[in-house]
Amino acid sequence: MPESPMMIGRVTRCSTRGFVGAMQVSVKEVPVFGSFCQAEAQSGRSHVVGLVYDISITDDHFARQIAALEDVPQEQIADGQINRQVPIEFNALAVGFRDDAGFHQALPPRPPLTLASVFSMAPKDTVDFTSELHFLQTILNAPQLPVDELLATTLRLSAQIRPEGERERFLLQAGREIARLLAQDLTRLENILRGLRSEG
Amino acid sequence: MSDSSELDAFFGSKRDERPLGIVLEGSLSTGLQVKLDPRYAIEKLAVGRYVVIQSRKTGSIFFGIITDIALGATTPDLLHHPPDASDPFLLDVYSGGVAFATLHVSPMLMLDDADDQPRPIKTIPSHFSAIYEATAQDVARVFGEEDEAHFFIGAPLDMEAVQVNLDLERFVERSSGVFGKTGTGKSFITRTILAGIIRSGLASTLIFDMHNDYGWSVMDETGREYKGLRQLFPGGRVSVITLDETTSRARGSKFDGILTIGYEEIEPEDMEMLASLLGLSDIQTGALYFLYQRLGKKWISKLLDEQHEEEIQNMLDSGRIVGGTLGAIRRKLESFIPRMGFLVPGEGSKVVDDIFQRLNIGTSVVLEFGNYGNTLAAYVLVANYLTRRIHASYVHRKNIAAGKKGEEPRPLVIVIEEAHKFLDPSVAGHTIFGNIARELRKYNVTLLIVDQRPSGIEDEVMSQIGTRVTCLLDNEADIRAVFSGVSGASTLREVLARLDTRQQALILGHAVPMPVVVRTRDYDQRFYAAIGMDESDDTSGAKPPSEDKLFPD
Repeated sequence: MPESPMMIGRVTRCSTRGFVGAMQVSVKEVPVFGSFCQAEAQSGRSHVVGLVYDISITDDHFARQIAALEDVPQEQIADGQINRQVPIEFNALAVGFRDDAGFHQALPPRPPLTLASVFSMAPKDTVDFTSELHFLQTILNAPQLPVDELLATTLRLSAQIRPEGERERFLLQAGREIARLLAQDLTRLENILRGLRSEG
Repeated sequence: MSDSSELDAFFGSKRDERPLGIVLEGSLSTGLQVKLDPRYAIEKLAVGRYVVIQSRKTGSIFFGIITDIALGATTPDLLHHPPDASDPFLLDVYSGGVAFATLHVSPMLMLDDADDQPRPIKTIPSHFSAIYEATAQDVARVFGEEDEAHFFIGAPLDMEAVQVNLDLERFVERSSGVFGKTGTGKSFITRTILAGIIRSGLASTLIFDMHNDYGWSVMDETGREYKGLRQLFPGGRVSVITLDETTSRARGSKFDGILTIGYEEIEPEDMEMLASLLGLSDIQTGALYFLYQRLGKKWISKLLDEQHEEEIQNMLDSGRIVGGTLGAIRRKLESFIPRMGFLVPGEGSKVVDDIFQRLNIGTSVVLEFGNYGNTLAAYVLVANYLTRRIHASYVHRKNIAAGKKGEEPRPLVIVIEEAHKFLDPSVAGHTIFGNIARELRKYNVTLLIVDQRPSGIEDEVMSQIGTRVTCLLDNEADIRAVFSGVSGASTLREVLARLDTRQQALILGHAVPMPVVVRTRDYDQRFYAAIGMDESDDTSGAKPPSEDKLFPD
């Protein structure tokens, strides 16, 4: 994760519940499944906090043609990957927003506008945001998402960016919060909890 | 919001530490369910310990006792899908959330803003009120200070520095009982309490000492020697009267009198209590009254010796009594009375008045039975005989006092062992002990019963037992009996069942503000000194071992 926020794309479509961003390919900046990002809203007065849950690359007829060839030169592969007509898209779930008062874990009052900049979230901000765990409920309630994996991955990543002495405590706290939410389904709970520990 | 300064003043400074848990459920009759904060280890708590509950809404303080501890889960599914026990992270996550511990707490006292003394509860704290472990300071304030009328009996569990003080005035005001299985130390505890009563002078005591546990030089099973009451109070506050002079001398007991009962002093009522022990049928028991009426004061002599056959024959001829009945009675008397060396022909030593006088000037009397303590019928006979007559003297005195023509008799506590023999349902109705228990303190006489089978005591009598000091009991019926007549006490069942086998007792009832489990104080040199025994007066044989513990491990 980059140390200071870097622009990773622009919003193409959005709603109160989340947004989709498009980006140019650059290995360093591809948003990671389960990472946080921020999109400008209200002309920069607030930022929507998004949680990346899907990254998709649609095929186009150039890619299909090249893929069918037997021997493809490296430059052509690189060219096909970088100079694309249809960009890489990432989907982010709105899990909160940030205004002058700080972070809030509630649905944002206004979504970002089209072509608003999307930034990766700095580790310090991620630690700050994840010190509250209400957003876990938002993840659990979201439809059509790989909820269990998202929970596990997000929390694992949030633990890793913390200083070593705090990781255990964070994971325990997060584990207990999930246990509180999923107390009725112990099998599911146990799977998610295992995911918190394993290396991705 | 209440003014908390008085509460603070009563209970010490505000609690800063995190609560043990919060109140989630419960009722006044059954107690409160508390969810334990996962930070606390359930193993560090115990039934019988005290807790303080601070009402979330009013700030009032409730004082209660932990009566049960349980494990629970948010879903019954946990039993079928437990976490993998080899993964400590999983176990940690589950503990306190999915799987948690609960306490069952019985609140007993409440301190309202307007009061400065705790009072019995009439309501319960609201939801989510916080519970804290009671501090030594909290407990000490509830149980008060030791003074002339309050006697230090022991310390609560795990709080050695705190003194639990028995309110002696209340203790002797009603009949009381010391219960427990054999071997739990009932007689040590009884002796401790009696020492306190004697020292306070609040009542005289008349102790029917079946097995030489009270008067002079008591031995425990290991052969260790402890001082008896006569030795603790050498200045004359305790007298020992013996039935068995030979044995008393052999033991080296100091005694102040010898009890004999003359045949002519025995009445049919005295023998009636022995009916089941002697094997007398109802008809035979009834016939005793007839015989007394016909033969007069010397009836026992006439029945036992052969010299009054003519009179006996006349009686038979009158047809009012059948030969078989008479024969049975004579045989049974012959098998019993001559064996009892303290029963003598003629008038005996007229000891009842002497004992009454001693009691009335504040001297306590220990009746030492010597070898006769092994014969239950002897114990029952003498206890019954003396108590009936002393009680009658008390009634007489009290009536005179009521007419303003004399002084009230001094309060008296009569101590009997094997009480279920005197108070079981079939006899409690018409024995003197049943009457004394039931009449409360009408004539300034109460009982202190020592017994290992409280279920054998009639319910109505049991309900008149104001203070119950209970050591370990394991019989269900006995446990139920001890709690009968005390409201809300059945929640203490687990507390009672978990007592140590020795030197721990649950005290509940009239003489304590709330039920308390104590480790009773040691009966040793320090105790002797505290009671005020002057070493220079001690003329007993062996020097007692120093700093002796009551029950060595």
